[in-house]
Amino acid sequence: MSKRRRNFLVGSIGGLAVLIFLWVRPHKEVDFNAEVRPIINTKCISCHGGVKESGGFSLFSREDALKPTKSGKPAIIPGDPDDSEFMKRLVHADPEERMPYHAEPLKPEEIEILRQWIADGANWQDHWAYLKPVKPEIPTIDTTWGNNVIDNFIYQKLKTVHLNPAPQADKTTLLRRLSMDLIGLPPTEKELTEFLVDSSVNAYQKQVDRLLASPHFGERWAAMWLDLARYADSRGYEKDQPRNIWRYRDYVINSFNEDKPFDQFTIEQLAGDLLSNPSESQLIATAYHRNTTNNDEGGTDDEEFRTTSVIDRVNNTWEVWQGTTMGCVQCHSHPYDPVRHEEFYQSMAFFNNSRDEDVPDETPVLAQYNPADQEKINSLKKWIGAYTSPSEKSNGLSEIDQLFSIAEPKIHPHTFDTLTNAALMDGKFMGIGHTGFARVKNVDLTGKRHIVLNAGFGGNDCRLEIRKDKLDGDVIAEATFKNEKKPGAWSFRKMLIDLKPVNGKHTLYFIAYNPKTKNIQDYAASFRWLYFMNKIPGSDHADFAPIKDTLLAILNRSEIDYTPVMQENPANFKRKSFVFERGNWLTKGKEVQPITPKFLSSFASYSSDRLGLAKWLVSKDNSLTARVTVNRFWEQLFGTGIVETLEDFGSQGAKPSHPELLDYLAISFQTDFHWSIKKLLQQIVMSATYQQSSVASKLLISKDPANRYLARGPRVRLSAEQVRDQALAVSGLLSKKMYGKSVMPPQPDGVWQVVYSGEQWKTSAGEDAFRRALYTFWRRSSPYPSLMTFDAAGREVCVSRRIRTNTPLQALVTLNDTVFISAARGLASQMQNSRGSISDQLLYGYKRALLKNGNTRIAKVLLKLYQNADLYYRKNPDEIAKILGKHPDRKEIMQAVVLNTSVSTDQRHLACLTIVANAIMNLDEFIMKE
Amino acid sequence: MNPLFLEAIQRQTEYMTRRHFLSKCTTGIGAMALASLTGCFADKKPSQEQVSGIVRDLSRPFAPLPSHFAPKAKRVIFLHMAGAPSQLELFDYKPELQKLDGQLCPPSLLEGKRFAFIKGVPKMLGPQAQFKQYGQSGAWVSHHLPEFASMVDDVSFLKAMHTDQFNHAPAQLLIQTGNARLGRPSMGAWVTYGLGSENENLPGFIVLLSGGKAPDAGKAGYGSGFLPTVYQGVECRSKGEPVLYVANPEGMDRDLRKASLQAINDINRIQHEETGDPETISRISQYEMAFKMQISVPEVMDIKDEPQWVHEMYGTEPGKSSFANNCLLARRLTERGVRFVQLFDWGWDSHGNDPSNALDKGFSTLCHNIDKPITALLKDLKMRGLLDETLVVWGAEFGRTPMQENREGKQMEFKGRDHHTEAFTVWMAGGGIKSGYSHGETDEIGYYGIKDRTDIYDLQATILHCLGFNHEKLTYPFQGRNFRLTDVHGKVITKILV
Repeated sequence: MSKRRRNFLVGSIGGLAVLIFLWVRPHKEVDFNAEVRPIINTKCISCHGGVKESGGFSLFSREDALKPTKSGKPAIIPGDPDDSEFMKRLVHADPEERMPYHAEPLKPEEIEILRQWIADGANWQDHWAYLKPVKPEIPTIDTTWGNNVIDNFIYQKLKTVHLNPAPQADKTTLLRRLSMDLIGLPPTEKELTEFLVDSSVNAYQKQVDRLLASPHFGERWAAMWLDLARYADSRGYEKDQPRNIWRYRDYVINSFNEDKPFDQFTIEQLAGDLLSNPSESQLIATAYHRNTTNNDEGGTDDEEFRTTSVIDRVNNTWEVWQGTTMGCVQCHSHPYDPVRHEEFYQSMAFFNNSRDEDVPDETPVLAQYNPADQEKINSLKKWIGAYTSPSEKSNGLSEIDQLFSIAEPKIHPHTFDTLTNAALMDGKFMGIGHTGFARVKNVDLTGKRHIVLNAGFGGNDCRLEIRKDKLDGDVIAEATFKNEKKPGAWSFRKMLIDLKPVNGKHTLYFIAYNPKTKNIQDYAASFRWLYFMNKIPGSDHADFAPIKDTLLAILNRSEIDYTPVMQENPANFKRKSFVFERGNWLTKGKEVQPITPKFLSSFASYSSDRLGLAKWLVSKDNSLTARVTVNRFWEQLFGTGIVETLEDFGSQGAKPSHPELLDYLAISFQTDFHWSIKKLLQQIVMSATYQQSSVASKLLISKDPANRYLARGPRVRLSAEQVRDQALAVSGLLSKKMYGKSVMPPQPDGVWQVVYSGEQWKTSAGEDAFRRALYTFWRRSSPYPSLMTFDAAGREVCVSRRIRTNTPLQALVTLNDTVFISAARGLASQMQNSRGSISDQLLYGYKRALLKNGNTRIAKVLLKLYQNADLYYRKNPDEIAKILGKHPDRKEIMQAVVLNTSVSTDQRHLACLTIVANAIMNLDEFIMKE
Repeated sequence: MNPLFLEAIQRQTEYMTRRHFLSKCTTGIGAMALASLTGCFADKKPSQEQVSGIVRDLSRPFAPLPSHFAPKAKRVIFLHMAGAPSQLELFDYKPELQKLDGQLCPPSLLEGKRFAFIKGVPKMLGPQAQFKQYGQSGAWVSHHLPEFASMVDDVSFLKAMHTDQFNHAPAQLLIQTGNARLGRPSMGAWVTYGLGSENENLPGFIVLLSGGKAPDAGKAGYGSGFLPTVYQGVECRSKGEPVLYVANPEGMDRDLRKASLQAINDINRIQHEETGDPETISRISQYEMAFKMQISVPEVMDIKDEPQWVHEMYGTEPGKSSFANNCLLARRLTERGVRFVQLFDWGWDSHGNDPSNALDKGFSTLCHNIDKPITALLKDLKMRGLLDETLVVWGAEFGRTPMQENREGKQMEFKGRDHHTEAFTVWMAGGGIKSGYSHGETDEIGYYGIKDRTDIYDLQATILHCLGFNHEKLTYPFQGRNFRLTDVHGKVITKILV
């Protein structure tokens, strides 16, 4: 049979099948999302979508699809498929004309779906995730199984694939799972015993309540949130200097512990600074978007990397709250989702007016003082208050408050334009030589009477003049540097200089003088920033001098704690926002205003700033925030989200496995639970679905390898943090200390190799070496290696989903890393102290780690290992001290474990137990959550 | 104005016009690239296979996989000279630049340009080296690399490379990850993801550092980005444990470790009978591999047993941390089937502010330190019949300006050049690459490429091509999009291919 003929036959049979199908099928309107969109997205959109509009035809939106194409006529005529060019092209005989272009023709049934869709009126339907969720009906199920509504949804779906739920996990497994999930730590022996002996009906509920109230709850969930916030203790790129932003981490821990409603949590982080009278904690919250990278490499353009940060904030906000990937929209309209190119920049406009400018000081920063200095600040304010007239009371004092807290807007050297015998030193600080000058335009001096100048000088006495409007204009301020340090030493410090009263905006010339400089090119003066202030009440009074000294002494303290925060530009500092043509920040297109993309709920009633955006994100009408958020928490408990692609709810993301359940949870979270995360988690962990045993038959594994139907409980590898924390907890070494500056637990020597910067890894002393993983100092260019090996996120950009891997390098960490060897020693000490026979001690260790009794087979294996070790240490007695750690850390461990009896003198026995303990802590069931 | 300048500017204008014309006329080509990118969604839910021709079972992340088409090279050794050596003192011979030495740079070469440190009007700086032609191919090499000069007939030069990043960290990220910002997988990660490794007892992607400091891009320069972390480069070190955590703790020997692993795996098998989770089986094999790695890593990293003539050829000293040792290690690793060996040698940032790298001072020492080892590496691979199937790439993140640096508008203490994006030299040798060939030309002063310009993405596309990949099809679905090393760019430099 010729090929053509065969094709004809196949075609006829296909056509016949379609006809029969249509004849049998009752006329029901085609479901756009279920039937039409998949065809469009896979067959048409790459040439007729957001990126390309071949032939002037685009299926980006209904509006686009119906507008005239290059031919002048629309390709789709609603209600009239036969006259629609779109349909003609699908079946065109000429392969050059037929669509999809140079590809397999559509299948007859696909063509039929499209024909009927046009006949029905070519109605468009938004992608499911962009439709507001409606509370679904709770399925009625015919079973006694189930604790709450979640189970109805799960059971109903199980029935469709002929699966049954698994029985409840045994109590030990269940409590370990619950405890790892809610607080990231295993239960103690005492907690487990209490649960095992508690035969009351609400025994499990009591454990849930206990864990939700634990202070460690916040630590566990902060670990998840910090991946989204791309939190790190350094700035990234070449210099990768430390960043002092741990207060933000503590804010996250506290927020989870307080069960701060998620809407409030959102608003504080995205726009805490724009709330009226924001508290210190609300300002710290805004450090969320100050976790972006900062490039201090010499010769970098601050504006380029400021822009990079702003773009990251846009991408981050859309991914974290809306599960929408904006990355592609930077360069062109979204290829699949209805986001237009310029809408990226409209979103960017919300973030483009924050004060931060990629400067090495990381300003704006919130200053916090030690109690003694805070006391001094209070007395300063009292003194100033006495000189403040009642009418200027609030104003005058807020000027001082502002000076001691954030002090913005500061003006940075990169704002200066004309430089003569002056330059940006290392691209950062302004350096001016003798009679050299630098110019800054458009400074609003109205009401300003002082300048705080963060300046330095190069040795000998020097003077800096500030002249108005012209190089030889009026001197309106003057600073004199007196050499206080040894000559040649550059010391930056903040100085307060007076400013003559001037109104309006002016160009200022900064001119330096130091006739003593030998080389005219040597810098005489330098500054990092300047800050203009209104009059400080009392500053013209004779007694102000000592007050000023105190004020400057405090401002110049090296121990002030600065946290980067968000601040909005005041009106005269506002930046305009533009579309970047093809994503290139140097090619600016048309100007845009802040507004959210059109395909989502209306933004009309919100203010055009970050606060408006934050409120819109958590508004009742937003279809995504609640869904995206409940899905994250679900994924943390079950290992896979209801929508597997946590980061992408768009049309290319995964479809929800249980769409009604997702909507049910989203609406409950938003409405019934008033955004309470603890209530949401409680609902999930109380379900029978969550409490199922994770044991699986071969049949079940072959039917549902990824456990998407949840006919069994989750069995997933612990997260990087949990692997470490559990080992330390079981060994008795874990410090429960919370909060504070990040710590440096032991890591192999030589891991930190950084260009230029002299930063060093100094192992923390005492219990700080044994803190929970989330307190570990996170350097972006060189993150803590053992955590990285267990798939921790590098924290350079937002990571919604860590991909779990299983590699030999992970085995090497838990086998050989000193942290895990210390943990083995800790467990061994406890085994030794448990008394009983050797076998008893070995099984005690197994139980201490895994919480359950080892059977005789396991006991045999452990004993054999013990005997092997015993033989080895009898032959090599010198090795005993080594495995036990002859160094100081040994003493520390023994103290940390708090032995209730004196240390046994049988060191060989302890060495053998250490070997067994190390093996126990490498078992699959120890590394897994079951 | 000096006629040479006029000539250079004229050439540049011609080139720009031609390029403009090409870009106008080839939107079709660009669009085709995009179509084949998005066109990967040929079916409803793109499976990994349809997208990249790769089915990667993550329980065996390094299992060898076939490439898209028959490869010319099986593995890569990438010699990255971090800091960016001056092409004008090594390969790009510009006698005309000597005549302009000390003259002020014409404004037309500065307008609209962004430099890291040059301010105002700098002076031109003539070549700080003597050049000669070598081999059948007559390639120009300076006196700084006398040994390498003997190898020019084995390599292809790319003389008109260019980039768009003029700061180290972003430029290193661009050449290693295809993007100047943080967060993308590095080339080695892509390659090991796509091909796996031929030796499961060693990491598939190994990084060797020399020069005393890490590259400016930090570990992101050899990270895994959004690929699973198992594909990140594993640093092999000369001091301390060769690979982190590979050594048993003190007080435990190999036999005791073996007994302990036996116990772990025995109990895991008992456990597997209960839970039936295939992940447990996978863990058992990971522990077996860990043990093998504990043996093979120290073995491969120990160069003591290499014969004396090998040490003499490379200039290696066992136990020392050096670029020479790393070159020898690179050969040992490739010999054992490691897929991607990435070397970073730090210290090439010749600004003229520091004698250690100044062109008239320490630069010659830096060159001396790589000359012998690089030559030895090429010779050694060739002798062992490995060069045909190993791709060796030498290069850096950008080049250096024909102008002398005048940081903050001042005279520098030593002779140095600023970062230059418009022109620099990269060479490649081995699997799939022409021998004794030179591609691309710069103008008389080495400022712009004027013929056969190639960019970072072209280089990446070519490396992937030699390994048997269509760079547009080696993709990974992430955030609703198929990402690839070359983003939406890159053309294979076919002229340097065999």
